[in-house]
Amino acid sequence: MVQGDDLARVISGCKKGDSRCFSRVVDMYGSRCYGYFHRLTGNNDTSDELLSELFVKLVEKIGSYRGGSFESWLFTIASNIFHDYLRGKQRRKKLAEVSHEELEWEIEEPKQSDGEMVDRLQSQLVKLDVETRELIMLRFYSQLSFKEIARIRSEPIGTTLAKTHRGLKKLRQLMEGS
Amino acid sequence: MNDQKRENLKELVEKFFGAGQAESCLQDFQEAERILREHPAPRPDDMLISNIKAEIAMRLPARRARIFRHRVWEAAGVAAAVAIVAFLGVRLSQQPDRQHSFHASLLPTAIWESNNIVADDVDLAVFTAEIEQIRSEVAALESGEDTADPDSAIAELEMELVELNSDFWKG
Repeated sequence: MVQGDDLARVISGCKKGDSRCFSRVVDMYGSRCYGYFHRLTGNNDTSDELLSELFVKLVEKIGSYRGGSFESWLFTIASNIFHDYLRGKQRRKKLAEVSHEELEWEIEEPKQSDGEMVDRLQSQLVKLDVETRELIMLRFYSQLSFKEIARIRSEPIGTTLAKTHRGLKKLRQLMEGS
Repeated sequence: MNDQKRENLKELVEKFFGAGQAESCLQDFQEAERILREHPAPRPDDMLISNIKAEIAMRLPARRARIFRHRVWEAAGVAAAVAIVAFLGVRLSQQPDRQHSFHASLLPTAIWESNNIVADDVDLAVFTAEIEQIRSEVAALESGEDTADPDSAIAELEMELVELNSDFWKG
């Protein structure tokens, strides 16, 4: 687990442009952020791209981090990147609808690249709507409190709690029924 | 300790779901999180992590250059602000001179700008003598020494004053 003082030193180094400190942040949060993207997209290549984009954004925006929960700040960026990706996908979908169906493969539900094993959880996750899936993944991978998640999503904490509960309950039922 | 571990989930759930539902609700959370833990997502490839680190290292000089440019612009802005304030300060400090020239304009320009002190002194002596004469005539009228018609005497004095004033400003 990342200690507060250690993290503060690393972030301070990042702000000064120390590449070793950025590497340390990648080591500390790379797996969690990758897991978050992977569970949302279900695709290795897309997750690779989104993770790279996240850390590029981190380099660009680290100056705007003004203290507080670093996880909250980082996962807010991750969430925005995921939403941008979804918007891009929607644009491609519309484009495909008006022209050809050649991009159809891109608009299907998230799926694994060739030769990958689709794990049981991933196959059930796609049955949840995107918002619920994102909420569950944000809670699980960011390790943020409901209060912090509600703040990121700009909604009352009770709403966040109720949506997460419904989503987790449904996921549990899906997993037990599969 | 992370943010999630600091929160009291039981208390939060009881607050929003009521004590009756809280227990089953907490169980749902715990069971679902156990499922998520038992099915970990794939880890990022080592090559991907190396590429990300390399890309960050490549972008850092550009970021430093951008920060440097930003600071230069900031410094230029501050310098411009200081220059403007200094300029305004100098302009404001010159205000008393204007006031001085305003007071100076009370004197006839011909006398103020004249270098002939002797001639100016003679003019001033003549004006002063005339003013003294008028003053004594006014005093005589006020005391009733002058028995002539007071209205015409005052009108005459006013005429003299107007004439004197006009001469004075002509220089």
